[in-house]
Amino acid sequence: MGMLVIFMLTLMNYTKFDRAGVSPMESSLRDLFAPVQGLAMNLGHRLRELVSFPFTLARAADENQLMKKKISELEGRLREYEELRSENERLKKLLDFKTGVAPVMGYDLTAAAVIARDPGNWFGLITLNKGSREGLQPNMVVLNSQGLVGRITSVTPQTAEVLLITDPRSGVAALIQESRAPGLVEGVASSPGRMKMVRIPIGTDFSGGQVVVTSGFGSLYPKGIPIGRILDGDREPSGLFSSAVIIPFVDFNRLEEVMVITGTRTSQAAARVTELPYPWGEGKTDLMGRSPGAIRAGEGNGVVRR
Amino acid sequence: MRFYLLVFLLAAALFVQATLLNLLSVWGVKPDLVIIIVTFNAFLRGSREGALVGFLGGLFKDLAVGGYIGMNALSAMAAGYLIGLTESKLYKDSVLIVFFLVWLSSFTSQFLNYILLTTVDVYISPGVALFNVIIPTATYTALLTPLFYRRFYRSNQRGLLYTEKI
Repeated sequence: MGMLVIFMLTLMNYTKFDRAGVSPMESSLRDLFAPVQGLAMNLGHRLRELVSFPFTLARAADENQLMKKKISELEGRLREYEELRSENERLKKLLDFKTGVAPVMGYDLTAAAVIARDPGNWFGLITLNKGSREGLQPNMVVLNSQGLVGRITSVTPQTAEVLLITDPRSGVAALIQESRAPGLVEGVASSPGRMKMVRIPIGTDFSGGQVVVTSGFGSLYPKGIPIGRILDGDREPSGLFSSAVIIPFVDFNRLEEVMVITGTRTSQAAARVTELPYPWGEGKTDLMGRSPGAIRAGEGNGVVRR
Repeated sequence: MRFYLLVFLLAAALFVQATLLNLLSVWGVKPDLVIIIVTFNAFLRGSREGALVGFLGGLFKDLAVGGYIGMNALSAMAAGYLIGLTESKLYKDSVLIVFFLVWLSSFTSQFLNYILLTTVDVYISPGVALFNVIIPTATYTALLTPLFYRRFYRSNQRGLLYTEKI
């Protein structure tokens, strides 16, 4: 008995936790029993599942309800998060524009949100959530980081109505950035993705992808605001001028926040205009992340009309 | 009660049209919910009421736009009157018939808008007006008919809209 106790104590001491390795005998035994242990464990799990199945079933219904509730809650949060993310992205672009482009162009800006649109399909009118109380006045120019949006036509203390440049009643004095050829950009009824540039002098070279900007003639719209890019062109029926189809830079179907030019001042950094991101300058910097136009300056090809 | 409910419906339709429906515009065109209500009501109640509700709905729209006040009132009134003429002549249980009536009503009101626009010096080329605005609007609006007609019809027969006259 004494010998057994001593043997066991020695064995216990020999097989203590922090020893370097296992003995050959232990190793053989462990390997021998490993498959059987695995099988037994598996069997045990199955048995436990079988016994507890009715209880699990009863609990599963409650858990299912809880899960469904959690999923719908999380889906709601995800949607909220997506909405916030996209709002954040939009506001960041506006902020980049306000701190990057606006000082160079010499604009004093007021940001506003679009709260309503013309309920009909003939015109392009939007309503902003700011009005005369915030200093907005008729004929102030509205834009966003992508380009020209329109101009204010009327204000109330808390709202302002904006005539979009896609409205058929709108006309913007414009010029083709590359050739400096002048023209007039008009809206087309119920076509927020297309406009027309008319009265382009015959003999002007212009090609698809070229940028059209405001010319500053008529003093309503400041010079150099991007309007869109040329898709293609043709001669006007009178034969005296050419016309071109313009794709606006601004996505008028997804207009949610805009900025109103409340004042202009002589720019201290006019020399930096060319460094502005496309289509505001020549795209040498990337102040606003992605450029609004799918075609970058110089990518246009194929002369449309002479 | 019926009158107030119709006014509420027209105002709600206009609100949805000016806000949420912009998200559902197809090729820049959104449906005209106001004309749907005007048409349903005219078809179920006749020319007199059709013209009156059309006038109200159109006037609401004009006030919402804030310009050319009277243009939509006149065009929707004419459309309501025209549809009202069919009140005793067509089978009221068929969604298909109402689909065509909504198309006709929307087409008529949009076409009259186009004519009226020329009187205030807004000239839009006939091709653009017809294929960019009038036909797409009429078609999109008519496609929404099955969503609302049955409810409106039931309410008119035995629901909140059921009374003799406005």
